[in-house]
Amino acid sequence: MADQRIQGYARGIFEMAKGEGSLDRVESELLAVAHAIESSGDLRSSLTDPQLPLDKKQAILDELIGGRASSMTVAAVQMIVTQGRAADLPEIAMGVAEVAAESRDKAVAEVRSAVPLDSETVARLTTSLSRATGKQVEVKVVVDPSVIGGIVSRVGDTVIDGSIARRIDQVKHVVKTR
Amino acid sequence: MQFLTAMTVLAAESEGGSNTSLVLPETSELIAGIIAFAIVFFFVWRWAMPTITATLEKRRQAITGQMEEAEKAKREAESLLSDYRAQLAEAKTEGSRLIEEARQSADQMKADIVAKAEQDAEGIRAKAREEASGEMSRALADAKSQVGDISVELAGKIVGESLDAKAHKALIDRYLADLEKI
Repeated sequence: MADQRIQGYARGIFEMAKGEGSLDRVESELLAVAHAIESSGDLRSSLTDPQLPLDKKQAILDELIGGRASSMTVAAVQMIVTQGRAADLPEIAMGVAEVAAESRDKAVAEVRSAVPLDSETVARLTTSLSRATGKQVEVKVVVDPSVIGGIVSRVGDTVIDGSIARRIDQVKHVVKTR
Repeated sequence: MQFLTAMTVLAAESEGGSNTSLVLPETSELIAGIIAFAIVFFFVWRWAMPTITATLEKRRQAITGQMEEAEKAKREAESLLSDYRAQLAEAKTEGSRLIEEARQSADQMKADIVAKAEQDAEGIRAKAREEASGEMSRALADAKSQVGDISVELAGKIVGESLDAKAHKALIDRYLADLEKI
């Protein structure tokens, strides 16, 4: 969260959601929207396209989350897209999670996996990451096929990468430098 | 004819008596004549002669001077002519020298230009060879890197597709086990 503006957005949304009493729901819905945007190139390019009129973007958002997400989430996403910051949405969502975790005296562990994780795995991850980082963590799972296999965890600036993607990167590096 | 004969006879008769008195004047007349002649001669000798002599002398001198001048002018003209001839000859020599020099410098220039062109051509050839070899090694490196990328990408896809639920679980379990060791 190096970017002040992203931090500002995250804090604003956190305060509003907390005031509305729907912090947990907004937090997970924002992460879901962020994931949708991250995993779909089409969605990302249309939402960030400065040539596309706002009402078209609104229509896309309505189709994506309208009626399913809470009004607070919809309002927050609309605000971000209207400000032309759709590309920052994943970071803002993670920022909201981090601010929320901080308010509960916890840190967020962003866990990326190619497949969804069951609750037992999440519990084990929470325990191990809390011990490894020395902080109470809240695990937020992001399903990301680009990981290919295994898990990538990030707590703050610490990244623990056990993914196949990283191994393949290492192989690529070796092949290229040889 | 008779008339003519008569005339001749008459003439012969009249001449026969006083032949000398017809040619020689009377003595007094002769003395007067001599005196008059002497007076005229004296005047002429005393005044007219010097003037005539001076005029003649002047004319002679003038003619001599003119001739001398003409002679001088001729000499000058001859000297000028010889000067001109000498200059002409000099100019001819100078001209042929210049032409020779120009020819020599043109030859030199020609040789220089040819040498430079050859040098340039050699430089261009060397550069082209260098560029070609550089291009080739770049292309080779590029191809190598692309082959690496493609094969790794393919490997990633193959690995990703070949991972089933069991394999995913095994990977996650190993991650957890490693994490718990920290």
